Amino acid sequence: MTSVKDPVTNKPPVWKISAWRSMYPGMWSWVLQRLSALALIVLFPIHVMNPYIDSVRITMLLLVVWHAMHGIKVILTDFGFPDRHQRKLLWVLCVVGVAAFFWLAFMHKEYWRFMA
Amino acid sequence: MNEEAQITEGTPETGTQEESVPKKEEQEEKAEKRPAVRVRIRRGGAAGDPEERFDAFQVETGPRMTVLDALVAVQSAQEPTLSFRYSCRVGMCGTCALKVNGRPAWACRTRLEGLGDEITLEPLTNFPVLSDLAVDMSPFFEKMKRARGWLEPTGAAEKAPALIAPNSRERKRIEPHIECITCGICYASCSIVGHDSDYLGPAALNRAYTLVNDSRDALGPERLLEVCTEDGAWRCHSQYNCTESCPKGISPTGAIKGLKRRAVSGGVRRFAASIFRGRAPGA
Ligand code: SF4
Ligand code: FES
Repeated sequence: MTSVKDPVTNKPPVWKISAWRSMYPGMWSWVLQRLSALALIVLFPIHVMNPYIDSVRITMLLLVVWHAMHGIKVILTDFGFPDRHQRKLLWVLCVVGVAAFFWLAFMHKEYWRFMA
Repeated sequence: MNEEAQITEGTPETGTQEESVPKKEEQEEKAEKRPAVRVRIRRGGAAGDPEERFDAFQVETGPRMTVLDALVAVQSAQEPTLSFRYSCRVGMCGTCALKVNGRPAWACRTRLEGLGDEITLEPLTNFPVLSDLAVDMSPFFEKMKRARGWLEPTGAAEKAPALIAPNSRERKRIEPHIECITCGICYASCSIVGHDSDYLGPAALNRAYTLVNDSRDALGPERLLEVCTEDGAWRCHSQYNCTESCPKGISPTGAIKGLKRRAVSGGVRRFAASIFRGRAPGA
């Protein structure tokens, strides 16, 4: 293989680290939201079959909150949230998401057997 | 084989014009801080020269030196066959766009300071390469045409000049999107263009948004329908790559969202009106 780039359209291949290093925050937000969706698709049937696997539950909680935060970002900007603040909105929602995750996890600690 | 492995060293070059009488301490500081940078330039990749490779050149830096200055220095003193495009040198024409350390930027307005000791220059993504750093912009302008990126006058201006007050809602909507110089940076940064080569792309949709909001434009709803298609506004995934990279501070994402809002509110209004009149929607 002499060339890894498409000679016609000159696309950088995603398997090269340099392509990922130059990604902007909004793109990371999108990629991670997609990945969280894929992970949830895998975890959800496991959770339905056995709802008491703590590791699955806590991972799902984290993923659901993460996925929701980025969904909220898209909804807000779709309905006219000013674009010049989209990066700030992303960071704020990340902080809100982490806080929501811990709040939800600790508010219901009676459900977590590993904390009992 | 990795194409990055093939690196040929250019001869060190002293092509920088120093300022006439720099202050002594300033000069010392400069000499310590950035004597020279290594500029890696992607060459080839076009039909006539298909072998892609990176050539590296040592370039001596000066104060406020830009990527374009470095390219001119390399071309004039080390590699006369190096191809790149520029015209105005002051961020007005938009022809000098390329990728600096992986991100699209204008060569003429990107200073070498802060870019590191090794700078990698590549042609814009999503464009066919013509030669070295020069790309074929025609797909980009074809899409500008497909989005009908020009004003179709209503004819009213023949009677009297159109008056659009600076503080009118119309003007305020258009204002943040009007300064595009069609450099193609947003188009190169858009992953959706990379995925769907028919996608109109950020700049064409941004232009359409300014015209859809323009009361002097006769196309109005027709234009909106033309750009709100699967390969138009609806293809956007709100990744904000174009907004982050546009050197003019334009948000094409915002324009696309504006088009979507207009399309949806127009559809809802038509739907409500059709129910009100007791007719099936769309009939
Ligand atoms: S919107 Fe910005 S990045 Fe895109 S072509 Fe216009 S000036 Fe360049
Ligand atoms: S040379 Fe005109 S914008 Fe850079």
